[in-house]
Amino acid sequence: MRATAPSFRDPAGICFVFDGRVLRFVAAEALPEFERFLQTNFARKFTGEGKLISSRRLDENEIAPLRESHELKSIFDAQKIGAVYEHEKISFASFPHEWPPEMLWAAGKLTLELAQSALADGFCLKDATPGNVLFHDGKPVFIDVLSFEKRDAHDPIWKAHAQFVRTFLLPLLANRRWNLQLNEIFTTRRDGIEPEEIYRLCGALEKFLPQMLSLVSIPTWLSRKADPDNGKIYQPHLLKNAEKAQFILGSLFKRLEKNLNSLKPPASNESAWSGYMDTHSYDDPAFAAKEKFVREALAEFKPERVLDAGANTGHFSALAAQSGATVVAIDLDAACVGATWNRAQKEKLNILPLVVNLARPTPALGWWNSECPSFLDRAAGKFDGVLMLALIHHLLVTERIPLEEILRLAYELTNQLLVIEFIEPQDAMFRRLTRGREALHASLDAAAFEKVCVKYFEIVHSLILAGTQRRMYCLKKRGVN
Amino acid sequence: MLIAYVDPGLGMLIWQTIVAAFVGTIFYMNKTRRWIVASIRSIFGRGEKTESTTTAVTQNPPAEAEIKNDAR
Repeated sequence: MRATAPSFRDPAGICFVFDGRVLRFVAAEALPEFERFLQTNFARKFTGEGKLISSRRLDENEIAPLRESHELKSIFDAQKIGAVYEHEKISFASFPHEWPPEMLWAAGKLTLELAQSALADGFCLKDATPGNVLFHDGKPVFIDVLSFEKRDAHDPIWKAHAQFVRTFLLPLLANRRWNLQLNEIFTTRRDGIEPEEIYRLCGALEKFLPQMLSLVSIPTWLSRKADPDNGKIYQPHLLKNAEKAQFILGSLFKRLEKNLNSLKPPASNESAWSGYMDTHSYDDPAFAAKEKFVREALAEFKPERVLDAGANTGHFSALAAQSGATVVAIDLDAACVGATWNRAQKEKLNILPLVVNLARPTPALGWWNSECPSFLDRAAGKFDGVLMLALIHHLLVTERIPLEEILRLAYELTNQLLVIEFIEPQDAMFRRLTRGREALHASLDAAAFEKVCVKYFEIVHSLILAGTQRRMYCLKKRGVN
Repeated sequence: MLIAYVDPGLGMLIWQTIVAAFVGTIFYMNKTRRWIVASIRSIFGRGEKTESTTTAVTQNPPAEAEIKNDAR
């Protein structure tokens, strides 16, 4: 398939990934405003800073072959297209249901900064959802350029305010207060979490905490009392004094920023896995040998794109990023993924950390299951190198995935290199996981592991980590020169 | 069933409107305060300074000036 499903909610235009190119078809009636927006100082400044996705208008010669395409024909037929723009490609798409709270917070900060800054040029954001943001080169980038609309200077209301609260503030609040994970919120809710839902989680006194009052309790009480058929509520409340309208709007953004800042995830979120680097079972020489092995494999194969599966707090993701690769680091533990994000930000490493469990990878979501492709659809064949370090025993024992299946998945994910750590059943951590079911893995040893490996990979190097029951393997995908 | 027809943003929109009305009064209070301060300064012979202050306020984007006042 050469094309992915289009975004279709905004009548002003459609975004479509076609042949690896990100194309935006702008409706004829929305084009003048969109072009005015692109000419503003605001759009130029933020595009230059990499905070707003860059857009290039295609000329007629470039559009003609698109019109001929079978996949794109329906777009041209459905509405009058005024222009087609091509956007810079994002190396790996991710979604809010895969982000740790730290990344949702960063996306919220960017959204608010853009919404505020656009006011000076007479524009405003018409929607405020994390779906408008992707991560590229370790930074959030606002991708939905059609979200900006001309603002009525006399309007003191930001229509996207409730959506900003639902999709940024309340998920962060629920995560901080009740440890509700973002994947639990966003996998089943496209548009965030309602104040009503949070209200039901609150204890009697919690409802009266200042932040709860303004974000949850008062909106809930008001919506219960309001007449939903009263259309007056939705009519614009224009003020005579534009200066006053701008003052009110500025004050709203200041309050939202204050709320967002108060919900910033703490620098050290703890979980069962977040202390792994301090408590793992290797002694110093064994860990140094493992690190050296990975470093040498990266130096030998020079992968440009690396997937670190089971990345924990991103120690080896950082090694890969320091070697010049663009890294996607996945782990099932949101606290670990958040720590990886913090480290990548601090050290300016090109790492995209995502909350993904390789045994239950992110499913395809949305209309026709095609708005948000599954993790494996996005990942298969997209990496030159895959790291699977201290992971295999979790898949074999806890998830009961057969060894051959694990190697087969690794084969699908990488185009060339696989660095994998084999853990013998006699290993202390392996035995801790088996909990008396050792018999299930009685036939597993290094020879059995290698026998499966060679079906899919060539063994380039291997190393027994002295003093452990673990071995490192540097494998090259079969059929690759 | 009825819940399905309730706009999830309705309560938030009403709340935003109420707060906007309140903030609107702060806007006039700030204006009045600035006018009083300017008048007092001119009475006590600091007219030149008053003039320059007024010019500075006028040259700034109005909302920005108000927000700065509000932050104090």
